[in-house]
Amino acid sequence: MKWSFLAKPEGVPRHLVVNADESEPGTFKDRYLMEFLPHLLIEGVIVSSYALGSNVSFIYIRGEYAWIVDILEQAIQEARNNGFLGKNILGSGFDCDVHVQRGAGAYICGEETALLESLEGKRGNPRIKPPFPAVKGVWDRPTVVNNVESIAAVVPIINEGAEEYAKIGVGKSTGTKLISACGNINKPGVYEIDMTISVEEFIYSDEWCGGISNGKRLKACIPGGSSVPILPTNLLLKTAKGEQRIMNYESLSDGGFQTGSMMGSGGFIVFDEDQCVVKHTYTLARFYRHESCGQCSPCREGTGWMEKLLLRLENGQGKMSDIDLLWDIQSKIEGNTICPLGDAAAWPVAAAIRHFRDEFEWHITHPEEAIIRNFGLAHYADEREAVLA
Amino acid sequence: MVQLSQENIDRVQKIIARYPEGRQKSALLPVLHVAQEQFGWLSVETMDYVASLLSIEPIEVYEVASFYSMYNLKPVGKYMFEVCQTGPCMLNGSDDIIAYIGAKLNIKPGQTTEDGMFTLKTVECLGACGYAPMMQLGKFYKEHLTKEKVDAIIDECRAKNN
Repeated sequence: MKWSFLAKPEGVPRHLVVNADESEPGTFKDRYLMEFLPHLLIEGVIVSSYALGSNVSFIYIRGEYAWIVDILEQAIQEARNNGFLGKNILGSGFDCDVHVQRGAGAYICGEETALLESLEGKRGNPRIKPPFPAVKGVWDRPTVVNNVESIAAVVPIINEGAEEYAKIGVGKSTGTKLISACGNINKPGVYEIDMTISVEEFIYSDEWCGGISNGKRLKACIPGGSSVPILPTNLLLKTAKGEQRIMNYESLSDGGFQTGSMMGSGGFIVFDEDQCVVKHTYTLARFYRHESCGQCSPCREGTGWMEKLLLRLENGQGKMSDIDLLWDIQSKIEGNTICPLGDAAAWPVAAAIRHFRDEFEWHITHPEEAIIRNFGLAHYADEREAVLA
Repeated sequence: MVQLSQENIDRVQKIIARYPEGRQKSALLPVLHVAQEQFGWLSVETMDYVASLLSIEPIEVYEVASFYSMYNLKPVGKYMFEVCQTGPCMLNGSDDIIAYIGAKLNIKPGQTTEDGMFTLKTVECLGACGYAPMMQLGKFYKEHLTKEKVDAIIDECRAKNN
């Protein structure tokens, strides 16, 4: 689909760039693919480069995955040694080379135009679209940016045939999806699912997450990476209509943002009954404030305000009006920024207030308990004094 | 006078060769990594030197080095513990790990021990949420951290240095 937009002007080189800047909290599937199946990715890159006419392709990987760079470079060297890369690949007349480019710690570079800026040796500030990368991408040349999972999936699609591949799954959710399961579960890890199993089965079956750790109860879950709405257990396992929720695109988003969520990046974060939603939301707000590139005022300022308000609430120093203020700020970030980071920062805050308002209120009406419960007074007494001062 | 080793100069030349003619600025992030590997951190002198290697203005290097969190603009300890503190790690007790390391080494996040051995830094999501709590140490990740594991890691670092 994305490939069909690629402009093909005469005499201008085109490029394929693989987005391996995986950094959405809760997501670690691309890392798994690259660490344990590097040849699958390289094969996908070669086949895709051939289809797109890219003679020089890049894999842009997040800087922290330093040891995976070596793994990929070794796999590329092996492909070169066997004639799968280089000049006139297997007598096809097609030349192709692949390079691994390391980022240096910036979530924003997962946004495709920020990634291209970074690849050009600049700050990761997203570009205004249009022009889209397919027309004017890296070095102003037509560029396709795809993520690791998509490029790796090219291989089975070509080998099995698109029709066979599409038979897996249900409805519009065809093929398989990698889920990174984490949080308070017995068996965290990366799972490949065919998108027909229920959320309940995924969490409790020994084949997948293996239930909640330490025999505790399920409180909530963020089913698609940190930026998608959090859902309390009742809305997670069943939709508002009372239907069983299934692990696929349509079912997880059933009910919209009011009563549903999204499949997003497949980062599945599970909370047990003892976890504090306010505190978790605070860590996410801190994350987005840290990762905002600072280009757009609503995001640059708003993420900082949300972080401060959430910390105040979490520390038992909030006021009832803070909850409404928080709601107001998030609603003014959403949709008012160049790139989706603003939305990604606003959604988790909105969803936390929507579904767990009572927990926010509890922090205000029980300030002492909030501190003891979430911090443990003994450890953090000094810090609390600093907050109170 | 700042100078990359001959081996690293060769690496830099290879990196620049990946990009089209006149687009050598694209090599900036990888070359800064090479420089930081050799010097431990990026001083203004080092950044000016990198600018000259790539035929770009020093400001083009400063603005990039200050944007990305992995570049150290101040000297750091020989071993830097970069402990993740974002949501999924927090759910699995990263706060306790950070407090434990801080108490054990008698430093706060952002500080370096007096002997210059250890730096404690809190970082945002490193993409190892299923193996939480975790930290980055040099090129590799240390995962499923416990207090005992932290003790062992610190001992290992000290032993390597004796």
